[in-house]
Amino acid sequence: MTISIPTTVIIMVLGLIGIGIYALLTTRHLIKVIVALQLLVKGAMLALVLAGRLTGQEELGQSLAITVIIADTIVAVIGMALAVQVRRVIGTLDLRSLTSLRR
Amino acid sequence: MNPNDAFILAVGLPVIASPVIYLIGRIATRKNPKVDLARWLALLTLLADGYFLFIAGMEFIQSRHELLIAIGAISLRLDGIALLLAAVVLALGTLVTLFSGPAVARDNGRETYFALLTAMIGTIIGLGAADDLFNLWVWFEAMALCSYVLVAFYRNEAAALEAGVKYLVQSALGTVLVLLAIGLVFANTGSLDLDEIRLAAQPSGLMLAAGALFIIGFGVKAALVPLHTWLPDAHSQAPSGISAMLSGVVIEAGLVAILRALGALHLVTVSWGALLLGFSAVNMLVGNLMALRQTQVKRLLAYSSLSHMGYILLGVGAGAVMGSEYSAAGGFFHILTHAMMKGLAFLAAGALLYSLHQAVGNHDPLVLDDLNGASRKYPLAAFAFSVAVLGLGGLPPLAGFMSKWQIFVGGFQTGNAWIMALVVFAALNSVLSLGYYAPLVNRLYRRQPAGIVEQGRPIPVLMSVPMVVLSLGVVVLGVWPSLADWLTGPAAQSLLMLFGG
Repeated sequence: MTISIPTTVIIMVLGLIGIGIYALLTTRHLIKVIVALQLLVKGAMLALVLAGRLTGQEELGQSLAITVIIADTIVAVIGMALAVQVRRVIGTLDLRSLTSLRR
Repeated sequence: MNPNDAFILAVGLPVIASPVIYLIGRIATRKNPKVDLARWLALLTLLADGYFLFIAGMEFIQSRHELLIAIGAISLRLDGIALLLAAVVLALGTLVTLFSGPAVARDNGRETYFALLTAMIGTIIGLGAADDLFNLWVWFEAMALCSYVLVAFYRNEAAALEAGVKYLVQSALGTVLVLLAIGLVFANTGSLDLDEIRLAAQPSGLMLAAGALFIIGFGVKAALVPLHTWLPDAHSQAPSGISAMLSGVVIEAGLVAILRALGALHLVTVSWGALLLGFSAVNMLVGNLMALRQTQVKRLLAYSSLSHMGYILLGVGAGAVMGSEYSAAGGFFHILTHAMMKGLAFLAAGALLYSLHQAVGNHDPLVLDDLNGASRKYPLAAFAFSVAVLGLGGLPPLAGFMSKWQIFVGGFQTGNAWIMALVVFAALNSVLSLGYYAPLVNRLYRRQPAGIVEQGRPIPVLMSVPMVVLSLGVVVLGVWPSLADWLTGPAAQSLLMLFGG
């Protein structure tokens, strides 16, 4: 039995997104939350490349993915910068301690 | 000047000028810490941008032909919705730039503030005019990136950092969901161009999923109710000028992104508009109930933004479902008046926050008790704040009454029982909202001044100018609401074209 390439990629996309969402819901550490977001974006990126491949526009799909990489890197940088400040000002990266703002 | 070139400049100028503003501001501040060049450069950029937008907008208004522009992979379309969003963001952004000078003067990194504010204005203009699904995402993400840094601008305050982290994580998750939706649409239709998707998108389970992902992803930014939890924190902890921008235009920009994406999928199902109406009801109720129990002024205003998003959704949703142009125009009119009134409310609250707390060097929030008797010492700020909140509550003859009235009348004209019930619900909500707006005015004018008010510093003149301008605007639009027709009419027609064909 052989599994086609698109099927493999779809499984990988769903896997990455599943792991990302699971990690987002369970972890309470700010850096790990940012890593989880990165996993999610990687899954979405793979989906774009696959969509390009399926519709016969591989260059377009890949150029979208490269654009996403740029935007996604900036998000990670801002997230890390916030994490550094949180560690300096609040003294911990545990999200459970970030609850001073009440609804 | 060629209107197409003018519009390219209107979108590009703030984005390109942003790093220049940062560099020049940085060098000038390093040579002499008292010089604040970044603010004036940002103001100059925005004024020039207004001129370019005026040329392009006039051409569109007179000829009623949408301007279509493509530069490489960037494609822009200046239609009614794009023009309305661009005009609102530029006008409010210019006033906020003027206001923010004294407010951030004593903070490090003010050149970052003005550079990012200018860039954010440019990206919102681009977002409104995006004519391609992926372009839409790029503008949206760029806007979000600017706003993350601006929300956490007071980077040595624990509360601001907490708000920034919540905002970043929730928004970043939203943008990932939008990317997945784009992947689904791209794989199904083989195109990213919104017009081609409109023709190619057929009803199917995957396209329904894509639409749902668009609503959830963009809905985080548009503060649709179960996805709103970042909003009260971010709006209350950001610098006051940024709160005005977030509440006045950024959440509306999220709504425009939803409308563009769902408009392209309008053949998939007819219930997108009904879904927006559902969110409208929940937003109004939750926003008002939560605002009633707040003790901090900026948090109260943030929750009231949720309910005003509900009124906007009611007008726009009724327009999309029933094809009612009058109702849709009411929704867009409310985007305009809400930007003015909520902008004014946040600026007036910000001016009081500045003179009572920040000028003395503390970062405590402005609580309701601080407003007691403030009209004696700060008559202008108190008057501006009262105009803003009474307008938000919908008292005639202020702008908020007129735009709500148009939404309600438009809703009744559709003759649909559900929409008429929703209009009655919205009117009851509007009365409920006076329950927290009116006591604010009462505190300002009828209570004895609090000790903190008597020790407050004066409000700088540059902060007062935008408040006077916006107060005048709120009153003038309330007396002559037809002054905004040239802007809201074309926007409503564009919406009907998106959802009707």
